[in-house]
Amino acid sequence: MGTLSASEEAQIKAYLQDAVLSCTERCLYQSAKWAAELLNSLSTYDDSGSDTEVDSPMSDARPPPTPTPLVPKDPTEQRLEAREAHKFLLAKTYFDCREYDRCAAVFLPSALPEGALHTSSSPATKSRQSVKGKAKAGTPSKVKSVMDVVHGLSQKALFLALYAKYLAGEKRKDEESEMILGPQDGGVMMNKELTGISAILEEWFDNLPTSGRQAQGWLEYLYGVVLAKGKNEKDAIEFFIQSVHYYAYNWGAWQELSSLLGTVEELTAIASRLPQNLMSFIFHVHASQELYQANEQAHTSLSQILSIFPTSTFLKTQRALLYYHTKDFDEAEQIFSDLLKTDPHRIDSLDNYSNILYVMDQKPKLAFLAQLATATDKFRPETCCVVGNYYSAKSEHEKAVMYFRRALTLDRNFLSAWTLMGHEFVEMKNTHAAIESYRRAVDVNRKDYRAWYGLGQTYEVLEMHSYALFYHQRAAALRPYDPKMWMAVGLCFGKVGKYANGIRAYKRALVAGSYYDAGVGSSFGSGETGLGGGILDPDVLYQIALLYERLNDMPECAAYMELVLAQEEGPEIDEFGGEVVGGVGVTPTTSKARLWLARWEYMRGMFQKAMELANELCQDGVEVEDAKALVRDIRARIERERGGG
Amino acid sequence: MTMSRYLTPQKISLLVLVNLYCDSAPSTATIPILSFILSHIIPPTPSNARARHSHPEYQDVSFSIRAFEDVLQGHASNMPGRTLLDVFLKQMWEINSFDALHNLFSNLGDLLVRTREDGEGEAAATDRIFLSRTSPLGAFVRRARLEFMRLQFHDAMKLWGAFINYRAPTAQWTKRVAVQASSGIDIVAADMGLGPEDDLFQVAYGHLDDEDANGEAISIDDFDRLLEFQLDQLQRLGCRVPDDMREQLHNMLGPSGVVLRQSHLVKFFDAWKAGDYTSAFDNLHRYYDYAMQSREKIHYQYALLHMAILQADFGNFGEAIAAINETIATARENQDMTCLNFSLSWLNHMSKAYPKQMKGAGYMGMLGSERDGLTFLKAKAKETKMYNLLSATLLNEAKLCMATGESIPRALEYMYQASHLNVRENISNYGGQMLLQSTLYSRLGIMHLSSVYCELLLHCYKDSSPVDEQIRAICRCAFAATQSGRYTDALSLLEKIDSSSHRTLKFHQYIFHCTGLIKLRRAIRRTDWVACDHLLSSLKPDSSTDPELTFLLSSARIDYLIARGRYPDAFNSIEDLSLSLKEEGADVLQRISMLIAKAKLSAVVGKPERGFSVALRAASVAFKTRLMPLLWTAVGLLSNILNSIGEFGAAGRLLDAVIPQTIEHTDFSLTAPLYAYLGDSYMGLAGLEDVSTSNGARERAKKVSMAEVYIDRARECYRRIEDVEMECEHLMKKAILAKLRGDEMLAEEWSQNHNRRWDECKERIGEE
Repeated sequence: MGTLSASEEAQIKAYLQDAVLSCTERCLYQSAKWAAELLNSLSTYDDSGSDTEVDSPMSDARPPPTPTPLVPKDPTEQRLEAREAHKFLLAKTYFDCREYDRCAAVFLPSALPEGALHTSSSPATKSRQSVKGKAKAGTPSKVKSVMDVVHGLSQKALFLALYAKYLAGEKRKDEESEMILGPQDGGVMMNKELTGISAILEEWFDNLPTSGRQAQGWLEYLYGVVLAKGKNEKDAIEFFIQSVHYYAYNWGAWQELSSLLGTVEELTAIASRLPQNLMSFIFHVHASQELYQANEQAHTSLSQILSIFPTSTFLKTQRALLYYHTKDFDEAEQIFSDLLKTDPHRIDSLDNYSNILYVMDQKPKLAFLAQLATATDKFRPETCCVVGNYYSAKSEHEKAVMYFRRALTLDRNFLSAWTLMGHEFVEMKNTHAAIESYRRAVDVNRKDYRAWYGLGQTYEVLEMHSYALFYHQRAAALRPYDPKMWMAVGLCFGKVGKYANGIRAYKRALVAGSYYDAGVGSSFGSGETGLGGGILDPDVLYQIALLYERLNDMPECAAYMELVLAQEEGPEIDEFGGEVVGGVGVTPTTSKARLWLARWEYMRGMFQKAMELANELCQDGVEVEDAKALVRDIRARIERERGGG
Repeated sequence: MTMSRYLTPQKISLLVLVNLYCDSAPSTATIPILSFILSHIIPPTPSNARARHSHPEYQDVSFSIRAFEDVLQGHASNMPGRTLLDVFLKQMWEINSFDALHNLFSNLGDLLVRTREDGEGEAAATDRIFLSRTSPLGAFVRRARLEFMRLQFHDAMKLWGAFINYRAPTAQWTKRVAVQASSGIDIVAADMGLGPEDDLFQVAYGHLDDEDANGEAISIDDFDRLLEFQLDQLQRLGCRVPDDMREQLHNMLGPSGVVLRQSHLVKFFDAWKAGDYTSAFDNLHRYYDYAMQSREKIHYQYALLHMAILQADFGNFGEAIAAINETIATARENQDMTCLNFSLSWLNHMSKAYPKQMKGAGYMGMLGSERDGLTFLKAKAKETKMYNLLSATLLNEAKLCMATGESIPRALEYMYQASHLNVRENISNYGGQMLLQSTLYSRLGIMHLSSVYCELLLHCYKDSSPVDEQIRAICRCAFAATQSGRYTDALSLLEKIDSSSHRTLKFHQYIFHCTGLIKLRRAIRRTDWVACDHLLSSLKPDSSTDPELTFLLSSARIDYLIARGRYPDAFNSIEDLSLSLKEEGADVLQRISMLIAKAKLSAVVGKPERGFSVALRAASVAFKTRLMPLLWTAVGLLSNILNSIGEFGAAGRLLDAVIPQTIEHTDFSLTAPLYAYLGDSYMGLAGLEDVSTSNGARERAKKVSMAEVYIDRARECYRRIEDVEMECEHLMKKAILAKLRGDEMLAEEWSQNHNRRWDECKERIGEE
């Protein structure tokens, strides 16, 4: 993308400014916040005027750039909006006071039609008539009257009304779901407003070509949300794509779209259909991050956008998350830490930060983070997650669960809380609750590999390996370069007796492991991937060896055992130029491998080799008893052979 | 901000200290450190064995960190060259993040002795001290850990903030700590390169500065203990909450929004003692409403009991009786013997103290006769081992013995039993016993012993006895001083009573009446009628006044009427009073006093013979019941009658017999008339002598001079008690005697003396 020219930049500014205003008008606060943040992180923002001069008379001389020339308005809509301006203000205040039903009732009659309705008899002329005589309400059919009212509204008003209705339904659903993990929780309760809203919107879109009105993108966005809620994901994606075509700066639409994408393939499939602009570029970066595509390309794209918006917290967070996905915790931590310093009151995505600190076992810092978050807002799901993570790190699982529950009470769709709560339940040996928590996490977001993995683990605890296998495969599909996932898959295959599959899975783990190992550091992508490249995980090798043993492929098994031993020393120094410090040293796994080898050599009659290995074992001080017994046996055999010979 | 339940920065510091102790503190410091810790974590048991001021620091739950300095500074640690304070501060500053605080609590378990489940195998019994789970320290440690577990995160955060504030002053105490503390309060923030001016730092710790003003870090647990202490003081001593304390309590309660049940109870007692009937009621109800909410119904009877006492205290006997009856019924129902016995005892006491009012309110007696009641209570108290009640009942029995005029030895026996119980069971009922003993001796006419008991109470048991009893003792001392004419001393004694006592309505009234009574008596003797009228009008007793004082006031009024010469009024008053005393079965002392007053009245009106039978009866009863002062007065009146019928010799003999005893009693108002009567007797005897014979003339001269001696003595006594009229009368007598001797000059001198004295007194009254 490169640097932008002044005019391009001004354009972006205007668009973003307009986006903030439009989103705020429609009460899409999160999107508005996102756009405003982005607007303020433009590189040259500071150059155009320092904050201290705002009050000086100079600021009057430079009026703020008005977006009107850049974002043309639809005259029909403007006329309608102007006419209902006062009612719109009323509705908006109701919305701001969280009186959603009342807000919806300002524009819509209280009784919405049930189910889909097919009144195709409202052409443009008719709608104009009803605009004039709305108060008469003398139309014969009730359904018709509703549709007449709807057509008489501007898109903005209709969006606000329907959105309020939608939120009222969501609120009621949450209320009726009662306790987290209670009997009413989970798919039992539905948002009862959905049918009504979708009926209206469907009708509206049916009439769109004939009514002569121009789509603005907002209603499409809302319809997409409604469709997604109704599990009608294909159509939802269609509408979201339409929506971003009409209005690209509604971040909410992009976000919904990315949450509907399950795989990278889906992303590439729709990529061509998206408008080519800045927003779609940001979307691409975000979606790849969500899909764990932490490769070179993602980083370069991100760097490009960051050059335009150098101080954007959102983009920096994306960067940190990319590092997190590649297990480069130090980098990620550093970015988050800097973010915290520049914006101390920001709570967004602090839960991710707390995950990183948890993994790094930095308890004091985690506590500090929890303190910060609590000081800012105790009742944000992110805060609760941070605190829950802290308690989890301190092994106070009951309290951790309490905080995750609180997070979920605040927001039932808060993904990480579900997953983390699952982890806590596993710790507390409450497998049923753990499974339910993980399941809910997966329901919220099918891309959460940790939840899939957790599900697999839990089923493994329950000794249901073939069942667990499915979940591990899902996790491995989401994270093809994470050896942990493949190891779990391999383990399950081994348990259910599919040794060949198991070996293949383990080999994948080896590949993935060496990939990541090489990926750490600056030489990204230059590392040679493949067997014997870097240090291989001895555990994996050992497992492979054991599986070969099961298959009675003894030479192969012995070869892998040798490989395990080889990891003690590590690869030759000259290959990596001293970058790699050395092997893993003596570990219980390598010792086990050594013992196995010693026995195997003994069985083969290679007593000298066996003796050597057994003595090494004695030196290392692991499995000494077995080693000594073996040594005795070997001596006895040697003696006997000598005696015999 | 809300109050924490249990944990405070002080407690955290104590935990650090416990840690230090367990890490083998040097032996010299062990005892001071342990006693310091224990004095803060264990509520003191109220006992008389230890004086309350032996642990003054207990009062201050929110002790500052300076307290640690005072304790620790003097002791060397096992690291050479460092005091314990250094080590302590080092550990305090090692808590350099919330996580470290968390670790402090989660590691507390290591201090405890390993149980079997934990695996005893660890032979890590080096030189560390392990705490038993049930030891005071162990219990403290476990409670602290539990409470920390229970804390929500933001509460824990608040605790952390409070701790930082609490620790802050120590940063500069020693060089070593200063180095350690220079890295700031939070190591994480320091690692991130944050200074106090950074925004992020402000988010995390900005609120700390604001909380400085709040200052007091006190937990609900501490507050509970504080209120418990206040209640104990209020209930035991019957005083009010001091003003400054009330201010502090208010400040502690005010911002927190936490309202504890006990605080209502404290308010209730305070309002009650202040005489604020409405708010006392309000608070009592409020307290028990909240008590109900938290516990079972067991509080109900106590609520009723309190209400009964409150009602009675404000003179509403009808309601009081209704309440106490219900109390008794409820207590019976709930098998609450303590409450039942206490209610019965109280009822018994009330029916005795306010018989008229109780009868008027329809109380018929719950336990049959009074004696039966006491016997029943005694048996019950013994049965249930309520020694407090037993001791009180024994004293009541002794009182009853005295009031009905039964044998004094028995009364003494009861008292000694009670005293024995008090000592053996460590009941702080000394006040009542001392007062009763003092009463007994004053009735026996041994005034100085009576005073000694009062002073004993004031000097030795002041701290443990209720304010009420202290005031009574002081008033009794004041009355004793009046007897010997030391009015100013008496009044200054009363004035010296701590002004805080006046804040309680009852005490104020009592002291006011006593002062008034003393002033009235003085005024009567000084013939200061204006003052008398004024005092009498302000000293009208009502139903809630102490019955004893009511009697004294009435008799003082009768004295006044006699002194003013309003004899019919006086007679009517005496009649009324003796009638009502008879009705309510009052103390025998009071009834005899009335007989004597009647006899005195007839003597004053110039017809002493009329009072003969009355005086004789009074004398005989007083003798039987060993009411010596009354006996002496009655004998004096008898001898006056004998004088009036010319039996001078007999009168003289009678008086000779009693006067020495009265002198011992040091009551000049009692001795003076006796001397006067004796003088009269001698004059009468002198008149009987035949002057014609030289022997007779000599005898007469001798008797006259004897009479003069006694008249002089009587005059001296009257002068002491400032009885002007009588003093002048005796000056007159002296003048007449001089005239009789034919010494006109002397007579003139005496009569001038008389006039001068009279004028002096009138002048003084005018001046005052």
